[in-house]
Amino acid sequence: MSVEHWQAALHEVTGVAGVRGALIISAEDGLVIAETAMDDLATADVAALSAALVSRAARCMAAMHTAVPQSVYLVGEFGAVLAVAGPAPLWLVAVARKDAELGRLRLLMRDFAGVLG
Amino acid sequence: MRVLEPWVADPLAEFLRESAARLALVMTSSGQVIAQHGFTRSLDVMSAAALGAAILATTDELGRMLATPAGFGAVVHQGERQGVWLAGFDTPRGRWIALVVFGNESSVGLVRLFFSRFAMQISAAAPPLVPVRDVLAEGFERELDNSLRDLFGTR
Repeated sequence: MSVEHWQAALHEVTGVAGVRGALIISAEDGLVIAETAMDDLATADVAALSAALVSRAARCMAAMHTAVPQSVYLVGEFGAVLAVAGPAPLWLVAVARKDAELGRLRLLMRDFAGVLG
Repeated sequence: MRVLEPWVADPLAEFLRESAARLALVMTSSGQVIAQHGFTRSLDVMSAAALGAAILATTDELGRMLATPAGFGAVVHQGERQGVWLAGFDTPRGRWIALVVFGNESSVGLVRLFFSRFAMQISAAAPPLVPVRDVLAEGFERELDNSLRDLFGTR
């Protein structure tokens, strides 16, 4: 998939009501590969922390001798972070408000993450 | 952890905890060590400080040659099992340099994120510089002259 396709996918994800931003990150180094986000969203920070989150989730699941995580959902009081694994080391990450359509977002992200490579 | 300036200890400890970095070295732009964590021998610290300062000086010079006056921000060497983050930051005590070694339990992004916080905390925590006092008291020369005259009875 080319950078143009990545941007199109990210625009589609941010088109879901309540989504503040979407990023493709490298889980190995915690850096942003591509992004579409509101100005007030510190995407570099989101990428770093999301990469740390998925890396810890992977270590946790490895310790439990279970499969490698394919998605990580972190839902808080005021919003949510959804991360879905693409071809290693890429992850598709979305930051959403608490009133976002999380169900639709989850399905959309799963579809796009599979074809990121 | 060893620190030359005690007010550096808390921000550095927080940075190490948050970023999960393995080694850290804080130094002046001339390579004088301010604080270090994880280095076991003083020779290692001095070598790392000298090499880190030299790398950053080289990068800054390259930035000037390429008409990038703001410089490149940070230099990252990524290895298979560990990486090195090297960056300069301004403090009320002048420009300092941090050399951070991190492993697979951390990432460049994580080090970058918490390093920027560390640099801000250092700037905020730095106590005001004490003005340099005159080494010789005012009238020292006159008093010395008088003392010598008394000593040799030439008054």
